[in-house]
Amino acid sequence: MNSEMGSSGVDQANNSPLRLHPAAMLIGALRTVRRWVGALVIPGGAFLASQGFGIRTILLVVAGFIVVAALAAVWGFLAWRATTYMVSGGAFHLRRGVVQKSERTIPLDHVQSVDTVQGIIQRLFGVVEVRVETAGGGNEPDASLSAVSRDAAGTLRREIEGSRREPVGTEEVAGPDVVRKLTMRDLLVAGATSGQIGVALSLVAVVSQLFDEFFSRAFVERVVSSFAPRSVMAVLLFAVALGLFAWLLSIAGTVLAHAGFTLSRDGDYLYIRRGLLERREATIPLSRIQAVRIVEGALRQPFGLAALRVESAGYGENAGVSTVLFPLLPRREVENFLRAAAPEFAGEPSLERLPLRALRRYVFRAILSASPLVVVVAGVAVFGQYAGLPVPGCGGCGFGTVSLLAFEIPFGVFLAPLLLVPAAFHGWLQFRDAGWTLSGERLFARSRILARITTVAPRRRLQSRSVISSPFQRRLRLATLQARVASGGGGAEVQVVDLGSDAARSLVERLGPGYHVA
Amino acid sequence: MGALNALPLLAGGAGGSWAWLKLTDVSFFVWILPAVAAVALLVLMVVVAPTLRWRRWRYEIRTDEVDLQRGIVWVARTLVPLARIQHVDTRSGPLQRRFGLATVVFYTAAGANQIPELSAPVAAGVRDRIAALTKDGLDV
Repeated sequence: MNSEMGSSGVDQANNSPLRLHPAAMLIGALRTVRRWVGALVIPGGAFLASQGFGIRTILLVVAGFIVVAALAAVWGFLAWRATTYMVSGGAFHLRRGVVQKSERTIPLDHVQSVDTVQGIIQRLFGVVEVRVETAGGGNEPDASLSAVSRDAAGTLRREIEGSRREPVGTEEVAGPDVVRKLTMRDLLVAGATSGQIGVALSLVAVVSQLFDEFFSRAFVERVVSSFAPRSVMAVLLFAVALGLFAWLLSIAGTVLAHAGFTLSRDGDYLYIRRGLLERREATIPLSRIQAVRIVEGALRQPFGLAALRVESAGYGENAGVSTVLFPLLPRREVENFLRAAAPEFAGEPSLERLPLRALRRYVFRAILSASPLVVVVAGVAVFGQYAGLPVPGCGGCGFGTVSLLAFEIPFGVFLAPLLLVPAAFHGWLQFRDAGWTLSGERLFARSRILARITTVAPRRRLQSRSVISSPFQRRLRLATLQARVASGGGGAEVQVVDLGSDAARSLVERLGPGYHVA
Repeated sequence: MGALNALPLLAGGAGGSWAWLKLTDVSFFVWILPAVAAVALLVLMVVVAPTLRWRRWRYEIRTDEVDLQRGIVWVARTLVPLARIQHVDTRSGPLQRRFGLATVVFYTAAGANQIPELSAPVAAGVRDRIAALTKDGLDV
């Protein structure tokens, strides 16, 4: 595009509606097939199982599948024909719908970014999926074009973003500069330390539920009885094996999502490319970043590693959904990284610590949150022997019981309160890691729940500040500072719990818009 | 608002008393306890707490921000810069309208803040004043 064509760079007056790339037909057809197969798989499977696996029923199923595929192909074609998009009159228009026609109009001012994603099919055809993201997430519609050629996507991006920023003077030779790329080794380390084992475990649970539904009771019982653990050792081994499996699953999940993670910067825009099977390209305008979080996970901090996230206004449908800025990098390289990517958030000032009188509140809270676990463990120790569980302290397991006030208390009960010791230590750790400061017009707040998180938020980005105090806090001259920043479709919090009330009051004043450093 | 929770609370208290009476053999002063407790809690919720809450609500509209203070047990002071306020509403439910009251709600990009139970004209005045002050200089 000729740079002399005025500030918008693109002549919008004569645009006509554009169609998607024909690959969109295939994508639409596949989506329809997937939806129908998903709905039919359970009744179909049941039907097959009841009729036996004879030749006739298999042929019937195959025929049914062919019919569904043919119908889906026709629908895919119709949907492709009915979908058009264009940029005109200062807005992005998307028309679609075979039976129920709809037209979506998004004013260009409301568009926050134009992202591209490449799934397997898109990669086969050399096209991309374009997603037009809007601010004010949730209430305003987004739009997505399932298959568009790279050139068309580039043109569309220029047309949409050209209205808000200076176009690139020359052709895209001077592209964005790569700030950092995730190496394969770091990718695997990120997967191994992500701590998302919980998600993986619940996935395993879901799969086992499905397993239960599909196969007959007798079959399941036979399988279980042949594998079932019969002693404490076996239970432990089984749990370890399950944990290992879940761990491998979480590594796979991280690899799928973050393979080849590359962060680039072009002026006021950050570009993120990531993904193994589905390549995603996201744009984050620097002006939309409300806060940066340096997350040192429990498994990562010992190795001096951290992950970076951003709270971005209007990015994503839900409130408080933060985006990954970079999945893994050494903690000491964070400052240089931020200086290159988002300089407004770079800096490592020394933090003010919490007063000593806050320590007992932190320890108390940690012990309090551990106490349900203690109760459960003690309960299992006492009653487990009646349920047939191999519990230390039961009659035939080698551990004795202790006589106390005419009750026979299994030994295990006394082990339970020992759990409070690591809990108290964790509370002390949380107290020690908490800190805050106001430096260079930015609020720095550090805290630890499980991971140690340092949040950087410029003063002007704070939507509101609050000082909250309970009667216990007031008695100790402590308070909690809570600042809110915009995030996703709602807000996210930056908070410091139990700092001195004088410090809180002065900090709240200094964070105000009218406060000027003399 | 407290009044709406009254019905289940009363039902719970009466039910508890009745069950205790029917199922056990205790004296009058024992099984009447749940009902008495429910009534006492009710008085607390409907009469005492809202009054205290009203007394502890303070607001001030300064040149560049709104200062809110609320709470009896948990005291919270919130400051919202005018430049961050996106729009202002007044809201009033049926019970509020009956007493000529309204709530002012102002929205930032991170959520909403409110000043409850102002008299309707005062609420409208606050709303208009905040709206006028926030008219210029809005970026997120």
